[in-house]
Amino acid sequence: MSDILEPKSIVNKANENIELVEFDEFINNINKYETLGVGVIIQPSDDIILLKDSLYFIELVILDFNNFDDGRGYSQAYFLSKRWGFKGEIIGINAHLDQLQFMLRSGVTSYELLEDYKGFNEEDYSNGFSICYQAAANNSGLKQKY
Amino acid sequence: MYHYSPEDSKFLVERVDQFEKQLNRHLAGDLDEAKFRSLRLRNGLYMELHAHMLRVAIPYGTLNSSQLRALADVADKYDRGFGHFTTRQNIQFNWIELPEIANLLRELSDVGLHAIQTSGKATRNITADPLSGLTEGEIEDARPYCELIRRWFNLHPEFSWLPGKFKIAINGAKLDETALRIHDLGLRLVRNSKGELGFSVFVGGGLGAAAMVGPETASFVALDDILSYLESAMRIYNLKGRRDHQKRLRIKFLVRELGADEYSRLVDEDWQQTKDDPELKLNLAELEELKKDFALPIKPINLNGFEEKVDFNYSIWKKNNVRSHKVPGYSIVNISLTKLGAAPGDATSEQMRILADLAEEYSESELRTTKRQTIVFPYVRKDQVFDLWQSLEKYGLASPHQGTLAQIVACPGGDYCDLSKAVSIPIATRVQQRFDDMDKLLDIGDLNINISGCENSCAHHHVADIGLLGMQKNGEEYYQITLAGETLHETNIGKKLGPSVSGDVVVDAVEEIVNVYLDNREEEERFTDVFKRIGIKPFKEKVYE
Repeated sequence: MSDILEPKSIVNKANENIELVEFDEFINNINKYETLGVGVIIQPSDDIILLKDSLYFIELVILDFNNFDDGRGYSQAYFLSKRWGFKGEIIGINAHLDQLQFMLRSGVTSYELLEDYKGFNEEDYSNGFSICYQAAANNSGLKQKY
Repeated sequence: MYHYSPEDSKFLVERVDQFEKQLNRHLAGDLDEAKFRSLRLRNGLYMELHAHMLRVAIPYGTLNSSQLRALADVADKYDRGFGHFTTRQNIQFNWIELPEIANLLRELSDVGLHAIQTSGKATRNITADPLSGLTEGEIEDARPYCELIRRWFNLHPEFSWLPGKFKIAINGAKLDETALRIHDLGLRLVRNSKGELGFSVFVGGGLGAAAMVGPETASFVALDDILSYLESAMRIYNLKGRRDHQKRLRIKFLVRELGADEYSRLVDEDWQQTKDDPELKLNLAELEELKKDFALPIKPINLNGFEEKVDFNYSIWKKNNVRSHKVPGYSIVNISLTKLGAAPGDATSEQMRILADLAEEYSESELRTTKRQTIVFPYVRKDQVFDLWQSLEKYGLASPHQGTLAQIVACPGGDYCDLSKAVSIPIATRVQQRFDDMDKLLDIGDLNINISGCENSCAHHHVADIGLLGMQKNGEEYYQITLAGETLHETNIGKKLGPSVSGDVVVDAVEEIVNVYLDNREEEERFTDVFKRIGIKPFKEKVYE
């Protein structure tokens, strides 16, 4: 069973000084970044598989959940967290309150909500259930029935 | 019969609580329409032509009497006194007021019913043969597998925001009552050469404007590997499915564009990484527990000396509506809800309560729903079938139409649905009026007519003997005719007869088609077999001459 990762709900301050690069820039210049320890920003259309062999020198990955109906970020988080056991932070940006439960269980370790959701209780949406019916990257706090 | 555990029931309530918060935010102006639409659809709620429509799941088509009574209460309290049984083992209510939805869903959760993922771009209600567990020759009752797989994809964190809706059917019988190869994903229970149980998997079937028969992507997946295989099939779809084109969202377009071989290869490549993960193995101990819950509640009975009643109307009804049961002494009774002028599948709250009472008296309190929008009583003692028929007669529910042309499948059509291009129910009524002669219906035999009001194909017109698809031409309603679609013995999409015909003459065209069939039929030959033997030309000549 994979490690249980507790959501931190805010971006880890320890990562503030890490250089962030877009996916295409990273893929086209992997050698350049190998010694720098960067964070990579992934869009839903980016092929996450291309990151697999570089994970050992990537400090964090940022996934963009801005498009409410685009579910590719959940598979990207799954690959990073459960499939490849990535130990760095997996940060969901432009996150939606109503999708926190899916993001966190898919392996996202911290997130930043879109401005629209300021003032709402995040707990209501990230921990609304007592049970889950499937294995996932992070089932902490849930009774597992499967 | 299987019942939800207290923890499952709690989950249903938690889901309602969550949706109520979202609804309140929407009503307060804090959640925009686009996002709320996406969320409400995942809770089965549509905005239709006149009001909100709620689709409630009937998992694997099985209901008990208490659940049907609860649905009748919903029909009275929140709708206008009726519900609509769909072609995919759901029931729909068409006049729901938005602020009342949470209370409605809470009442349903009390009896283990819900609307979770009955719509939206996620895994929908999983359908099974309505005769699961009842007939000879079945490999296994598919319902325990439906339940385990339904659970697994219930609010699945990775696959709840797919490119398009995702419909799964599972069949364990010889004949395919589920039409699994027109589903996004179909599972057929099979045994391999060693006698081990597993699944053949078919992916990328679908109806609509581009109807396709799903190709086989795996000929045998062992039972305990099925969840990991399904996850891989969905993962490839989630990552590579078309999200850029509203009309190509379904997995059938991905499979077509990649090619079935390449799609299968990608799935297999992903699956090899996960199939040995112990967390993804089907829980065989839980499966055995579920099988006990789904075990038939009857034992063989000896009816030596029982003599069937002699009654002309009863014998006609029995011929069409009653099937033999694998358990000696029992019958399977099919009840048609077909009524002139009403949407096929419509049932009033009074009818629901009558059926619930009769199921309690005659069928171990269990009912099934079918893709032909009928109700099945699965456990009726042979010596009580006549009594049941008399009760059904008394309440106007003894229509002998099952298995005849008059048992038409139709969507709500232009009378109710804002997507529809043409009416469906009035056409069904006119066809029924044209063939309002039981002798003629019996002579024609089992011939399916399905009528969809638009390309969304809710009435599955592509896989009917005679399919009618509503469309608009210069502001008038026209119908495209397809012939010889089928799913029961093999899966074939109906062939287009020719140019669409106007609503004024479509019933004449149907009659001509039926006449060509009767004129060319040899003995008990089915419509599709006649069509295969004589081809489309004789039908075309009659309709367009």
